[in-house]
Amino acid sequence: MSVGGRTRAGGWKRALVYAGLTAAAVVVLFPFFWMVVTAFKEPGQAFTAEIFPKNPTLENFTRVLTEFGFGRYFVNSVIVATTAALFATLFAALAGYVFAKKDFIGRDKLFGFLLASLMIPGMMYVVPQFAIINKLGWMNSYRAMIVPHLANVFGLFLMRQYMTTIPNELLEAARIDGAGEWQVFRTIMVPLSIPILATLFLLTFQFHWNNFLWQLIVVNIERLYTVPVGLALFRSQHEASYTLIMAGSCISVLPIAAIFFFAQRYFIEGMTMGALKG
Amino acid sequence: MPATGPSQAGQADAHDARPTREWRKTRPRKPGLRLLRGSDNLTAYTFLAPFLIIFVVFLAFPVFYSLYLALHRVPVDSFDIFGGLTFVGFANFAKLFADVKFWWSVLMTLYYAALIIPSGIAASLLLALLLNNRLKAVAAYRSAFFMPYVLDMLVVGIVWTLIYSPHVGVLVRILESVGITAFSEKGFLGMPAWAMPSVVVANVLKGAGFGMILYLSAIQNIPGSLYEAAEIDGATPWQQFRSITLPLVKPITFFMVIIGTIAALNAFVEVYAMTGGGPNVDVGGRALGATWVTGYYVFDTFYTQFKLGYAAAMSYVLLGLTLVVTFVNRRFLRAEEV
Repeated sequence: MSVGGRTRAGGWKRALVYAGLTAAAVVVLFPFFWMVVTAFKEPGQAFTAEIFPKNPTLENFTRVLTEFGFGRYFVNSVIVATTAALFATLFAALAGYVFAKKDFIGRDKLFGFLLASLMIPGMMYVVPQFAIINKLGWMNSYRAMIVPHLANVFGLFLMRQYMTTIPNELLEAARIDGAGEWQVFRTIMVPLSIPILATLFLLTFQFHWNNFLWQLIVVNIERLYTVPVGLALFRSQHEASYTLIMAGSCISVLPIAAIFFFAQRYFIEGMTMGALKG
Repeated sequence: MPATGPSQAGQADAHDARPTREWRKTRPRKPGLRLLRGSDNLTAYTFLAPFLIIFVVFLAFPVFYSLYLALHRVPVDSFDIFGGLTFVGFANFAKLFADVKFWWSVLMTLYYAALIIPSGIAASLLLALLLNNRLKAVAAYRSAFFMPYVLDMLVVGIVWTLIYSPHVGVLVRILESVGITAFSEKGFLGMPAWAMPSVVVANVLKGAGFGMILYLSAIQNIPGSLYEAAEIDGATPWQQFRSITLPLVKPITFFMVIIGTIAALNAFVEVYAMTGGGPNVDVGGRALGATWVTGYYVFDTFYTQFKLGYAAAMSYVLLGLTLVVTFVNRRFLRAEEV
């Protein structure tokens, strides 16, 4: 087949590809579309035939937020995810800096050991971590939800990979000017690593926002429920209230969807970087 | 905060060690000399301290402590599970190996993996091939496909439960409109033969965007000249896909198999959200769940029945399985590459 033939087929092929892309997008996004339209339907109208609600209402949202405590759950999720993301990013940055730029005893062995831990299935940790939290007397607290996940090995890997590319000359120059290690970190490494810091912050925020299993295990008083925990328990008590459940679901995914909309580059690069470079 | 410690150590380092550093530049590095730079080690470990402390307490120690729990009987009513435990040796493991429900869960996990890994790879590859065209709006489609990957599995599962539900669920309604009523009575998640595939569909559509990005970047790294040469030889697009694209994206496929396996061995939230391990099927007079995967059994043993020792033993078998599968995958795929 000649190149000319390909160009002529271009119009056809393009139409076909667009059709395929659109069909795939409809299938992939349909659940979220259905979640949103159901959340705007009147209670009792959840299963009516029409796709768009006849009388769209905000009642479901106001009810779950005020009557059923989702406002409180939302605040808890924000507190947990933000605090955890800040500290996880800071700890990974500190550790990433020394793995990238320092020569110390046991460095390579330690790094290999840390990476090997990524193989361990997450279910392994649930029982012993619960035991430790219980022993520490941390049950039903924010720190129980936050602290056990502050050592993010994947984040450390991302940090080290990125920080290795920062030229040593910059660090040497700062040291010659009399900067201590902390100053080098704060004034050279941190400003030059903003993209990767932002990436890791967003990834850890997302992880903690969705960290349902662990939050379910360590918290059993309603005051401390996060959105996913509140949503799961609300559903088990009000199984038939589908419009309310969908409103709660919307509230649960909205922050991550919004962040993704504005910062998708960071998400996509951060999440796939390990796979593509490692 | 390690604000003062490292900076003091760093300053000392800057003053005293500068000659040493100049000297080191001209000499080959010997491992033994590292000991001379004690302050550097101190700085490094000070910076590492917060990360390492959390890692040791909450990730490394639990792996060993879990084994300790697995070798002990943990009283159901006791919350202090560090003291006063009775050593039972391998009793938990013995019980586990005789537990039909456990072997069934392993079987269901393998079934889940056997469904989700190939379909996940196929969906990711298909999306990547569609995106691998110089078209306007490709970026928008790419975002649309990737977005579900970052959203919460629990919510996705809850929404699919609504879509799959009997009598009134939208999918059942659509099928009814074309004359298929087989699903109307029980819904997709209520039918043993369909529950697991339905969970898989929900999960594949959520996660395909991740593999898509990996495949897309691998496909875009393939030199165009290979396809031109194949075209001159008269290869059809399908032949080009089979003999150029597929072999050259194999590292990604290998990676997808590994992470797919680990995800299947960890599968919990999707099952919790959609089926709760059910619906039950009658296997030789026993009621066993059609989506009763091992991850869910660990959760159920621990959270519902509060048998910590037994759950720990189970999670250890899970770890063993993960390591075996990873090792086998690696050997198998490496051997094939040679």
